[in-house]
Amino acid sequence: MQSLACETNLSESATGLVVLDPPRSGAINMAIDESLLANAQPNWPVILRIYQWEEPTLSLGHFQKIEDRDNLESLRTLPWVRRKTGGGAIVHDHELTYSILFPNRTGISNAGRSEPTKGHSEALYRAIHLQFAAALKSLGWDAKLSESCTCKVGPNADKEPFLCFSRRSPVDLVVGDAKILGSAQRRSATGLLQHGSFMLRRSAAATHLAGLLDVPADPELGDHGFDGNFDWQTFFIATLKDGVDKLLQVQWRDGKLCELPGALDEKAVVPRA
Amino acid sequence: MSITPDKLRYCESHEWAYVADPSTGIATVGISAFAVEELTDLVFMALPKVGQKLTAGSEFGEVESVKAVSPMYSPVSGTVVEVHSALVDKLESLGVDPYNEGWIIKVQMSDPTELDKLLDWDAYQKQCNH
Repeated sequence: MQSLACETNLSESATGLVVLDPPRSGAINMAIDESLLANAQPNWPVILRIYQWEEPTLSLGHFQKIEDRDNLESLRTLPWVRRKTGGGAIVHDHELTYSILFPNRTGISNAGRSEPTKGHSEALYRAIHLQFAAALKSLGWDAKLSESCTCKVGPNADKEPFLCFSRRSPVDLVVGDAKILGSAQRRSATGLLQHGSFMLRRSAAATHLAGLLDVPADPELGDHGFDGNFDWQTFFIATLKDGVDKLLQVQWRDGKLCELPGALDEKAVVPRA
Repeated sequence: MSITPDKLRYCESHEWAYVADPSTGIATVGISAFAVEELTDLVFMALPKVGQKLTAGSEFGEVESVKAVSPMYSPVSGTVVEVHSALVDKLESLGVDPYNEGWIIKVQMSDPTELDKLLDWDAYQKQCNH
């Protein structure tokens, strides 16, 4: 793993840091997010981390059982890792992944009220997903919130589909029948962490799940700015920033995790399963 | 006799503690109706084991709702002496009666004076209405 140490410290003026992380293993990726949440300080900026995977990887929701993967033969050979956030399993293959951390301080993720310590922030799910809906429409895809639910509660909770992209919750983003953006969260005394996955193309490990580029764009929509060489990562980062800005005015700048003193306990950033 | 919310002491993070008999030093712990409402539909809950040592403010379990995982914090220090394991399979009872059927753990307190640092019902209501 590359060193997490660097010589610069965070500028006071930045209220949002965009971190473009190099490809790492699933275990390291999850350990970094876990360490960030555990060590978050009230004076930290919002941290938007865009990350990549060294190889196609399966990430499980926090409470999922790895045995349930075995119902899908194609998933058995993938390396896997458990997320600290909830929801269903994700095949990180032809997709883009982010985590966003809101350190706890009044107003940062809860419209000016004291920070809650329980439950989800629907405002955050909704703001980001609606921003993607608008941005994708301008490219020719009729993206919208699913407004449907496969939710199961109580004793039936484990009867939900194993894979996140087979599930539907009302604020998931869909294009036609395909879910293309899903998110999950974790609260703690120190902050709110949201994970999200934007699926571009179907994976050989889950061929029944179409990605955005498997669904033809509608030439009747938008300004047709899309072409085959489109920079999806730039689109992804810009849309995430715009979505967060709908909730909170953030002064974004590019940065590195090592700028956050105490953010990453190197001993804690060890592979997790 | 059923426990009513005005008899409890609360953490700012929405856990409650109730001591039925001070001579035992055992506190029953759960989460408030306000917390259950914030959580909305509960999906999974992870609980500690009997014998686990807790300090006031430390995590003793986790609950998942609407794809969000939230920790539960202990209001008091001590040792877990009983766990409401059956609750995991009937989380809906937390929505019906969080102060009786929805109790989560019982803790043998190591320092009962910690209860005095918790919010009473009036102060807790004020926090929830903020």
